[in-house]
Amino acid sequence: MTKARLATPILLAVAGLVLFGQGVYIHAKALLAQVLLERAFDATIATGHTTKPWSWADTWPVARIEVKRIGASAIVLAGSSGQALAFGPGHVELTPNAGERGVAVYSAHRDTHFRFLRNVAVGDEIDITRDDGKKFRYRADGSSVVRFDASGIDPLSDGYELVLSTCWPFDALTSGPYRYLLHATLIKS
Amino acid sequence: MTICDDTQSIHRLALLRIVKLLLFFVMQGIAVILVGFVALFVSFEPVWSAENLQATITKPSEARSGSLLFKTDDGYVDATRLGVDVDLTVSGPTIRARVTQIFRNPTQDWVEATYVYPLSAGGAVDTLKMVVGDRVIVGDIKERQQAKVIYEQARAAGRKAALTEQERPDIFTNSVANIGPGETVLVQIEYQEPVHQSGDEFSLRVPLVVAPRYNPAPIVQSVDMRADNGGWGSTSSDPVPDRDRITPEVLDPALHGPVNPTSITVHLNAGFPLGEVKSPFHAVKIESPDSTTRVIRLADGQVPADRDFELTWKPAAEKAPSVGLFREHVGNADYLLAFVTPPTVEQAERKPLPREVIFVIDNSGSMGGTSITQAKASLIFGLSRLQPNDRFNVIRFDHTMDVLFPDSVSADAGHIGQATSFVNALQASGGTEMVPAMRAALTDNAHGDSNTLRQVVFLTDGEIGNEQQLFETITAMRGRSRVFMVGIGSAPNTYLMTRAAELGRGAYTHIGSVDQVEERMRGLFAKLENPAVTGLAVKFSSASADIAPAILPDLYRDEPLVLAAKLDKLQGSVEIKGRIGDRPWTVTLPLANAAEGKGLSKLWARRKISDAEVARTTRQISPDEADKAILALALQHQLVTRLTSLVAVDKTPSRPEGTPLKLTDLPLNLPAGWDFEKVFGERPQLPKPPAERRADASDLQTAMAKRPQPAIMADTVRLPKTATDAELKMIAGSILLMLSLLLSLTNRRRRLAR
Repeated sequence: MTKARLATPILLAVAGLVLFGQGVYIHAKALLAQVLLERAFDATIATGHTTKPWSWADTWPVARIEVKRIGASAIVLAGSSGQALAFGPGHVELTPNAGERGVAVYSAHRDTHFRFLRNVAVGDEIDITRDDGKKFRYRADGSSVVRFDASGIDPLSDGYELVLSTCWPFDALTSGPYRYLLHATLIKS
Repeated sequence: MTICDDTQSIHRLALLRIVKLLLFFVMQGIAVILVGFVALFVSFEPVWSAENLQATITKPSEARSGSLLFKTDDGYVDATRLGVDVDLTVSGPTIRARVTQIFRNPTQDWVEATYVYPLSAGGAVDTLKMVVGDRVIVGDIKERQQAKVIYEQARAAGRKAALTEQERPDIFTNSVANIGPGETVLVQIEYQEPVHQSGDEFSLRVPLVVAPRYNPAPIVQSVDMRADNGGWGSTSSDPVPDRDRITPEVLDPALHGPVNPTSITVHLNAGFPLGEVKSPFHAVKIESPDSTTRVIRLADGQVPADRDFELTWKPAAEKAPSVGLFREHVGNADYLLAFVTPPTVEQAERKPLPREVIFVIDNSGSMGGTSITQAKASLIFGLSRLQPNDRFNVIRFDHTMDVLFPDSVSADAGHIGQATSFVNALQASGGTEMVPAMRAALTDNAHGDSNTLRQVVFLTDGEIGNEQQLFETITAMRGRSRVFMVGIGSAPNTYLMTRAAELGRGAYTHIGSVDQVEERMRGLFAKLENPAVTGLAVKFSSASADIAPAILPDLYRDEPLVLAAKLDKLQGSVEIKGRIGDRPWTVTLPLANAAEGKGLSKLWARRKISDAEVARTTRQISPDEADKAILALALQHQLVTRLTSLVAVDKTPSRPEGTPLKLTDLPLNLPAGWDFEKVFGERPQLPKPPAERRADASDLQTAMAKRPQPAIMADTVRLPKTATDAELKMIAGSILLMLSLLLSLTNRRRRLAR
């Protein structure tokens, strides 16, 4: 009897710890990967060659996003597969690079790398450093909430635009079909 | 009451203490996890300090599924594909494929475009046509280097030029020089391919996506990682010499797909009354003009290019024709293509030989998603088919490797159970180091044991760039083992699979979806369990023949012998001899009865080239000799190979640089012979007019009014899923912790109460 009574809370505690640990692991991975990515990105700019952050990585850094007003910064990875997004924001396939004609789309998790997105206000300056070292400054000019499959983004539009995308609502616990988009337009390159 | 209150306050104190203790444990747990994670990264850190680890990102071959990259002064700009049309005509044994892709240069600069696309591995590419703006460019076959020079000269001279090169037998590159701003590019490739037959089922396959491949890092840069794999450090050569041409780009095809609308039309003239016609991965509409003909179109008009298209057809009769004989006269020679399916012989008299089966499963990152589910289901199905007197082992690999049992074990319930739980626990992550796994699988501890059959069942998507290393490993170590490749997923590396199975004298099975696991694995096990047709030989009675393949492979159950031959005269008969199990088998086909076929000479040449490549791999002939043979065949039959390329140079001078093109250069103004309806099928999917022309859409409207509006697919970006379950897990974890706390508290209270 006593044993059983003791065992249940211990089991619960272990299960709780494991679950909690998994949650922490996701955040830890997101944080740590950024440190490695930061180094790889610096190396990329310095050498001009793509540098993978770790040897078996399926992706590599392509740009740095900075919002100086709120002190936010993240290294963007090539591709937006689930595996890439665990480590950093992803450059959505088939959208142009930052600084090019069209709409560049970067996407990241709302609870890790793009947590800061909710704090970005219209008028904020967003700085993008590309892996070739070129810098571009965008100005946030609006936000919208769309369904993931009806983003309304035409990557070939005439302007020089940037869209940062993350899941919406920000505080939801499960993933849904809605995405929060922050639109920005190039002001300086 | 007061006493009660007192005890409660004591409890509160105890609770506080327990909370503190638990918090301590939680922090400890977190710390352990963090340290473990840091260690994981730190231990591999030296690898990325090596310089020039990977190809630069601005390399043309970084492309994804046939995407187009534009080269400008700043590097490459990814251009969006506007439309792909695949038109296939099946005439009896052969398929003639025409793939048309339309691209647009969205920049304001003159650009060079490089475009990487997948084609079927058995396909013989012989035609390249390109329309850039209003120019039609038709390609000529040239030696690869020469073609490159011609192309580069034209590029320097400001002329429009196009170049088609082979990167792998199933991956090709097109380069187009001097595309003006806002210009639209049309690329058309044609290839010839034999129909695939298995049992009474015929099939064709159109690869639509170049899946990302894993290229092992050069050994010198990662020796510290693989210190445990002896022998690896001995070579300093890069395992993927052309990594910069095929360097993978990792993408999620499901996310990537919707922006690559593809339409597919198949004109199927089977040559016999058709039964069931099926497309397992795409919804299709099928028209039946008569009993032997079908026209197959995609039901939704266009699909995203995120998986290979497959079409299978069966004859109306119970059994498929077991013999097919086709001929073509080209130049002064006759070409013959024969399909012969050996009869099925049940081995009733004797019990089948006991087998040793080595299952190898790829659990690398590229297998993530449904692929790993399919692979696991397939392997578990395989385990369930083992007989008690069989022996087996299981190997799993990513960039690391585990062998389940030190040596093969008997297939008793205990071992099978152990293997099943091992397989069930696998998760897809990491790189793909296939060679060490293949070595381990081919390491035969009981060699020369002729009383058992040794079979390796290798489940993978084959997405690696160092194919040649794998082939060399199989050739060197195959011994008595037979290698059966099982291709997993929607777009496996078919070239690797077929060649590895050929070198390993086994067979290749493709599993494209979870639904197919059981059917395909049953087919594979029928091959594993039934006697193979061995010792095949072919003799022509009066004609002198050059046969491809030169060495006839062993055939497994339901596989036909596919034979191509070049004959001096179409006379007499051909006799095929072999042994099915331990019984002799002979069949004689009179050549006079062969039906007229199309493109057989090219298929013969393709197989000869493939033979030469294999001989080169297995060191049967010197690389120089092989290359000479390949070059001669390729030039004579106008085929793109490793050594030859198609190149086209526009004779008229190009527009002066910097002058923007006018509106008239629309895809609507296609030159004669390039009928838009034909290119895009009867239900035209007109590509969206380029952005800079939208403003002037009014004159366009009239021209477009006759056509239905295109399905708008390329217009919008599909956004990936961007939420983790971290918080959910943390909250659930906290709730469990709280629960356990409450429980232990009530326990304590009860104990105190007692």
